[in-house]
Amino acid sequence: MQPEISCQQVRKVFGKGTTAFEAITAATFSVEKGEFVCLLGPSGCGKSTLLMMIAGLEAVTEGTILAGGTPLTEPRADIGIVFQDPTLLPWKTALQNVLFPIEMMRRSRSAYLGRAMELLRLVHLDDAIHKRPRELSGGMRQRVSLCRALIADPDILLMDEPFSALDAITRDDMNIVLLELWERYRKTVLFVTHSIREAVLLADRVLVMGRSPSQIIAEIKVPFARPRDFAIGETAQFNELCATLRTEIEIARGGEAAARQ
Amino acid sequence: MVDERVPAIPPVRGFDLSGIWSVFALSQGALVLPVATALAFLIAWQVIAVYGHISPTILPPPTMVLDQLAGNFSLILKHTIPTTYETLLAFGISIPLGIALAGLMVYSKLAYQALYPNIVFFQLIPKIALAPLFIVWLGIGTSSRVTFSIFISFFPILVATAAGLQSVETTMLRLCRSLRMSQWQILIRVRFPTSPSFIFSGMKVAVTLAIIGIVVGEFIASQQGLGYLILFASSRQQTDLALACIAVLCVVGLALYGCVVACEKLVMRWYDTR
Repeated sequence: MQPEISCQQVRKVFGKGTTAFEAITAATFSVEKGEFVCLLGPSGCGKSTLLMMIAGLEAVTEGTILAGGTPLTEPRADIGIVFQDPTLLPWKTALQNVLFPIEMMRRSRSAYLGRAMELLRLVHLDDAIHKRPRELSGGMRQRVSLCRALIADPDILLMDEPFSALDAITRDDMNIVLLELWERYRKTVLFVTHSIREAVLLADRVLVMGRSPSQIIAEIKVPFARPRDFAIGETAQFNELCATLRTEIEIARGGEAAARQ
Repeated sequence: MVDERVPAIPPVRGFDLSGIWSVFALSQGALVLPVATALAFLIAWQVIAVYGHISPTILPPPTMVLDQLAGNFSLILKHTIPTTYETLLAFGISIPLGIALAGLMVYSKLAYQALYPNIVFFQLIPKIALAPLFIVWLGIGTSSRVTFSIFISFFPILVATAAGLQSVETTMLRLCRSLRMSQWQILIRVRFPTSPSFIFSGMKVAVTLAIIGIVVGEFIASQQGLGYLILFASSRQQTDLALACIAVLCVVGLALYGCVVACEKLVMRWYDTR
């Protein structure tokens, strides 16, 4: 079967001539339909840039990206994005923010109203649907933004360190909410993070990205059964996986440190 | 017992007179000090004018100004109406003009490059110097004064609105692009709704400039209006009448400014919370 997302030798260079900066050397990987993949790496390794290219928001310098089997050249309706910031419109209520993409795509608002209410209920925002972002906590805002990304029923969900600005407790809650949503809708998810534990908790497969050269340096399958909860975080296998990933990241950074010395 | 509270002195900077309004929301202690200072100033003025052997032509005491205000009330009111009307007209046209031009410049890069440097250059001209030319171009009627007033008052609205439209964050613009919104959609659905507080700050500056524009126009050529009456009174050395007109002008200015602030409060209340 054809993968849902496929990146072949994707390279990204910012700028030109002497000021040119290579953000991504050559990234090759694929994500199967319905798979949850985490892209893990140290800050500055280009993982967010890679995600933005898959979102169609950054041009590809070299290589090809296929989404749903067709080359990706611009933002598409079958891809939903959650950014690091909630990016909600402050003058709209939670419900109106969730329905914003539907309005902008000139689709029938009433046809999606039920879905919007369902999504908000699934992320436990039943009581907040008519509240404005300023009345919501950081975690609640990000949950609204998660609903917004799913409202148009995309095939692919791209998440760019969506919970990194939240405190640890809220972040754990968000992970559980995301797992519940994923169990229900089984979207193809590509999730960028720099938290090893988050990656192991969420993903079917973790891709480790290194810096200089910026490429995929390791790929580790996470064998835990679903549905998952925090209990798996206490198991020896979980901690072993985390240790393995940490070593991979250290190797990637070690090479860099050696180059610096 | 000595009251140790330090009275807050409201900040008054440039055109932003919001400090004056915040006084009324502050505690009584903070209200007493500025009022007492103003009263002390008026009493000193009265004493100096009456007992200092100063000709009333040079410095009439406040009571004389008050007498003029009461005695010539209908005359002053007759001249207040056209000044207020023309100010409102000019301000009313400046708002959509400034907002529309800002929208155009943010919407189209071409329009921005073509217009913005020229508009800034225009603003470097001491605009008061151009006032007589507006009379040459448009005659001595309302249109010349109103046009001149628009000419000097639309710019702060334009600049403030443009700043507001451009204050949309990059991540928000990324979201818009990911939703494949057109530039027009982004302008109307995201940029403008982000801008009201900016637009109001521009309007607060513009309303004071609008009234200046009309009065300057009345100085140059007019048969009516407070500017005309001030000039008329000065030429006859009726300083008390001129000062009475200026007092009314202050009231008109503050009232218009207050209206803008009230509108802002109303809009922002509806806008920010449910």
